[in-house]
Amino acid sequence: MRRLPDVLLELWRSAPGKAGIVLFALLLLTAGYVLLTFPTDFGSARWSNPALWGDYPKTAPPVWTNSFGANRPEHRILEARTPTRTDGNVQTYVFPLDYQASQPPTFLSFSVGDVTYQANPPTLEAVLVRPDGGEVRLYQTVIGGPQPGETAPYRRNFQEPLRVQLDTEPGAVEAAYNFLTEQYDPNLDFDDVGRQLPFALFGKVVDGGFVVLKGEYRLEARVRVDNPQDSVGLVRFVVGGAVYGLMGTDGQGRDLAQGLLFGLPIALAIGLAVSTLSTLLGTALGLLSGYAGGRTDLFIQRAADIVNNVPTLPLLIFMVFVLGPKLWLILLMLILFSWPGLTILVRSMVLGLRSSPEVEAARALGSSTGRIITYHLFPHIAPFIFATLIFSAPGAILAEAGLSFIGLGDPTLPTWGQILEQGFRTGAVFNGYWWWIIPPGLLIVITALAFMLISLGLEPIINPRLRREA
Amino acid sequence: MTSFTSDRLPTVDILRPLLLRAVTLFGVLIAVLVLLAVSLGATGFSDRILEATVGEEIRGLRSSLAQTIRDPDELEKTLQTRAAELRASYGLDRPWWVRIPGLVTKVLTLDLGDARSIRSYSGSTRIADIILERLPNTILLLTTSTILVALIGIAAGVWLSTRVGSRIDRFVTYLAAISNALPTWWLGILLILLFTYQLRWLPSEGMYSVPPPEGGLARFLDLLWHSVLPVMTLVLVSIGPSIYSIRTLTLNIAQEDHVNVARAKGMPERIVLWRHILRVAAPPIVTGLILGLAGSLGGSILVETIFNWNGMGRLYYDAIAGTPDEGLIVALTFMFTLIYVLARLLLEFLYLVLDPRVRYEETTGRPA
Repeated sequence: MRRLPDVLLELWRSAPGKAGIVLFALLLLTAGYVLLTFPTDFGSARWSNPALWGDYPKTAPPVWTNSFGANRPEHRILEARTPTRTDGNVQTYVFPLDYQASQPPTFLSFSVGDVTYQANPPTLEAVLVRPDGGEVRLYQTVIGGPQPGETAPYRRNFQEPLRVQLDTEPGAVEAAYNFLTEQYDPNLDFDDVGRQLPFALFGKVVDGGFVVLKGEYRLEARVRVDNPQDSVGLVRFVVGGAVYGLMGTDGQGRDLAQGLLFGLPIALAIGLAVSTLSTLLGTALGLLSGYAGGRTDLFIQRAADIVNNVPTLPLLIFMVFVLGPKLWLILLMLILFSWPGLTILVRSMVLGLRSSPEVEAARALGSSTGRIITYHLFPHIAPFIFATLIFSAPGAILAEAGLSFIGLGDPTLPTWGQILEQGFRTGAVFNGYWWWIIPPGLLIVITALAFMLISLGLEPIINPRLRREA
Repeated sequence: MTSFTSDRLPTVDILRPLLLRAVTLFGVLIAVLVLLAVSLGATGFSDRILEATVGEEIRGLRSSLAQTIRDPDELEKTLQTRAAELRASYGLDRPWWVRIPGLVTKVLTLDLGDARSIRSYSGSTRIADIILERLPNTILLLTTSTILVALIGIAAGVWLSTRVGSRIDRFVTYLAAISNALPTWWLGILLILLFTYQLRWLPSEGMYSVPPPEGGLARFLDLLWHSVLPVMTLVLVSIGPSIYSIRTLTLNIAQEDHVNVARAKGMPERIVLWRHILRVAAPPIVTGLILGLAGSLGGSILVETIFNWNGMGRLYYDAIAGTPDEGLIVALTFMFTLIYVLARLLLEFLYLVLDPRVRYEETTGRPA
């Protein structure tokens, strides 16, 4: 008889077993890190909140793709909470920007928040100072004035900053057009400037077309205040990159690295929860069926026979569709559909063991049924059950991913399947956004593979006849 | 073990175990139908279908009655009485559990009304029409890939059993393990990225070119051309496990006494392989196919989605996207169960024909 600790030790000695354990440990560590650092409501509060991702580039490949030649601009967030200098009643926030990319930024946005004033609202101005000395006024506004019944000091944009998309701002188009016609080409087409404003702002005109002007730029926010106590607590320029982060962004500008990381603990939880619970259920029913016999046996075996022969995916789709896409429900369905195989096997093992000398002796000595099952039946089948547990985890992960992929994922919890589904639905395959398509699938494979490798290592140890089928 | 050539197939002996399996599969079908009916009833979906039918009839009646009855109050009253009559005749005045048998019949006959926005190619909105039009496409994909997996699996598995422990043998072992961790649909997407967008060799979408070529042969070749990637996906994902299990089976049987005896008698290796190894391996190979069927069915649903293959699987995706179409989803779930049950029966029959033991012994169990 093999005990579980011996089995684990032997598993560690086999090559696939060791690889599986190491991989699994790495995944667990990463999942632990994610659980500690990510907010629990990441899915609903961050991932599915478009407002948070407005200042990110859409479908930008990862930054490291730049090392394969193209020199695309990186994403820059320039932010300050106190003015760089104050001249009388003008507070200026200065952000130097060394621009060396060979493409213009994808967008340019300007946000202002935490505004406090005593009597008259401050006036704001956003200016781009170019390496060729040009000064383009991108935007100008006055913060909202006092409301009737409101008392000083007046506070504005504390909850939600005032955000302006500068590259579609009419004032910016006009200013850029005026500067470029004066400095470079008087025949420049106004609509051309409007269509590609970021290019016009970060470029010069050569032969009627735009060319990126590399060099030291400066973005400035000038706040004209009425009272020296008036202040703007947050100024932010975002120079949209064409590449972003370690894993790029999706169609809504979401940082894929975050979504992919958050998917790991969910995938592991799905795999472990479903496999553990369905193994428990299957084992319990198998023990009961085999040991009790009679009508209980007949009933359990008939039920197992039917559930075992049901085509799972169509029914899963139907049940989740009818009852709603909630993760716990998906897990419950997966558990309810996956116990019978083990029940049938455990029963046949118990039938063999029931008449063994060990069990007969125990019974002759007056052991209770519970005691016989716990001490004389279960230990014999424990390693086998452990192997089944590990072996069934990838199936659950893949099933959830499949459900998510056809649009039945839990919308409050972003999973890898859902990231893939959104990519597929919005044409990421067609457009060749590989960084949106390949990593989530690869992570599913790696996670499932960790379980499969352990399973492969367990196979010769537990039962030479235990083979993968189906 | 003697030669099987003199074996005739005693039909009665085959029928009995087949009937036993059929009873289980029939139970599956009934269980699924009841599950569908209960879900439809308990979630109020069947009420909505029927209410819509009543509403439709009342609308029709209103326009025809408006010609004869001029008084608006009287018209309303007539319509209300008629609506109440209709509700009673559809059983809407009774709780849903009373109507389960009726619901089961409705699902069985695919009498689920009209689809919301999806149309059949002939323009019909009836759910039954739409589903039946898509059915052959799904069966085409499923059977082609299953047969290919079986054939390649047998050929490669037998070949591999003669070189156990070799590098390629270990490769197949790992391939089988990886296949278990590989989502079919993701593999399909990778193949599209590679063969359609990188190499530009194969089409990634639909069953025919737009516009489809004229003439039977050209059309068929076009279909073949479009089916390469989806079939390849389905075959690739299950070929590893198939080869691996057949290789192991053949290996085990090849070590049995009767094979040694046959070889000792000096039988040609070809006959040993066909009569003494493959003949014995045939039933468990069919078992493997049976066990893999549910997986391929699920795989084909997702593969159809990826490749926009106009079968029932793609219909699932379309019915869930946008405004979900409950009627279609119910019909599809039932049809997939039906296909599964019928395919199982076919394979069970094959199994029984191939395995003489089942006919001579009382047992219906098969080797695990």
